[in-house]
Amino acid sequence: MLKLIREVLKVGQATLPYPFAPVELAPGFRGKPEYDPQQCIACAVCTIACPPNALTMHTDLEQGVRTWSLFYGRCIFCARCEEVCPTGAIRLGHDFELASFSREDLTVRAEFRLAACNLCGAYFASAKELEHVLALLDQAGLPPEDAADRKALLRACPECRRKTDLPRVKPLIQEAFNGRV
Amino acid sequence: MAEYDIKTDSAYAIRPDEAVDRLKGALLKDIQRSCYVYRVDCGGCNGCEIEIFAAITPIFDAERFGIKVVSSPRHADVLVYTGAVTRSMRVPALRAYHAAPEPKVCVAYGACGCSGGIFHDLYCVWGGADKILPIDLYIPGCPPTPPATIHGFAVALGLLNQKMKASYHLQQDDEHPQLLHPQLPLDLRIQVERAARRMAGYWHGRRIADVFLAMIKNGDPLKLSSTLQEYLAAQGDPRLSEIMHRLEEVYLAWLADH
Repeated sequence: MLKLIREVLKVGQATLPYPFAPVELAPGFRGKPEYDPQQCIACAVCTIACPPNALTMHTDLEQGVRTWSLFYGRCIFCARCEEVCPTGAIRLGHDFELASFSREDLTVRAEFRLAACNLCGAYFASAKELEHVLALLDQAGLPPEDAADRKALLRACPECRRKTDLPRVKPLIQEAFNGRV
Repeated sequence: MAEYDIKTDSAYAIRPDEAVDRLKGALLKDIQRSCYVYRVDCGGCNGCEIEIFAAITPIFDAERFGIKVVSSPRHADVLVYTGAVTRSMRVPALRAYHAAPEPKVCVAYGACGCSGGIFHDLYCVWGGADKILPIDLYIPGCPPTPPATIHGFAVALGLLNQKMKASYHLQQDDEHPQLLHPQLPLDLRIQVERAARRMAGYWHGRRIADVFLAMIKNGDPLKLSSTLQEYLAAQGDPRLSEIMHRLEEVYLAWLADH
């Protein structure tokens, strides 16, 4: 008996004090995805990458609105969204205390405006995404005379872009096919 | 055995009547401790079960709060549903629900239990315990870690408060997303990120590339080697050292080109 008590005292307490004290997390622990809507460009890359479709996006072309939503109840904490996010708007934190009484409290939603085509006026891409692409073009160091044309082209919807670009591309195609087109 | 409707919409889930709801409210308010938990696996991968058992080991010791896992639903106050509710496990799940005495608390445990998780759109899956049963608490995670499990039960028993809150953001006019590392040339960032991701995998690669690019950005380029050595000595990870030195090579090659 005394031997046992001595053994117990030597071993000490194995039980962690959680929830009365914070628990020590391993480095690289993937907790709750923290979303920064300021930084989000609503490009939908994360919704394509998300394996369980916890991230979803709905585009309303009539209203010109795109709604991003994240449902923590379906998230598997794989960090694929963090990997693919081009602006670092989503990053997995260390929070794991997600228990909730309702489904509603497990959802994060954000609504973004779409950009209208500068030629036909139809909505075609998220306004912030367009802004980000134009900023990337500047960062890539395009020559100024090229940049103005490129930027004007990017502000048009894919359909108008194709029509506008045709006169420029036509000679190139004819050359490629030796004038047989 | 009772006949069960097989509709998959949560609108057809079992609803307890008002008297039961009142009893349940009293149960949640008064019980606080000493609740008996029965675990129902509705077609899960067993990851959640392993974490539940980890939560009752001496390290986490859920039994110090009186939470005890029992082996029959007839003894249970709390039913924990894990798994995405497959076609074959739906009726056993419902039988366990009916076998437990009222009032009872139902918990959806893990990503699958909460909403079907990665299996949500499979043909043979109902997609979450709330499609067939009235769920009182959701504990997300894939699987929830033992601390998350203990936190979940503490929330269910009213010992701790719920931390999660629904959020909604509407785009404002002053929102301008920042470029990543705007001070660095785009092609350098892309070359470093690609090299890091190729060597370390996407997730770690990005984090390693971020540390390296921050070193280039903040420090004196001539002193990069010594800053890098200091950082790597502090980390003490030979794999990280290998990757960082290769990133340095990428950077030097880029400098030579420009």
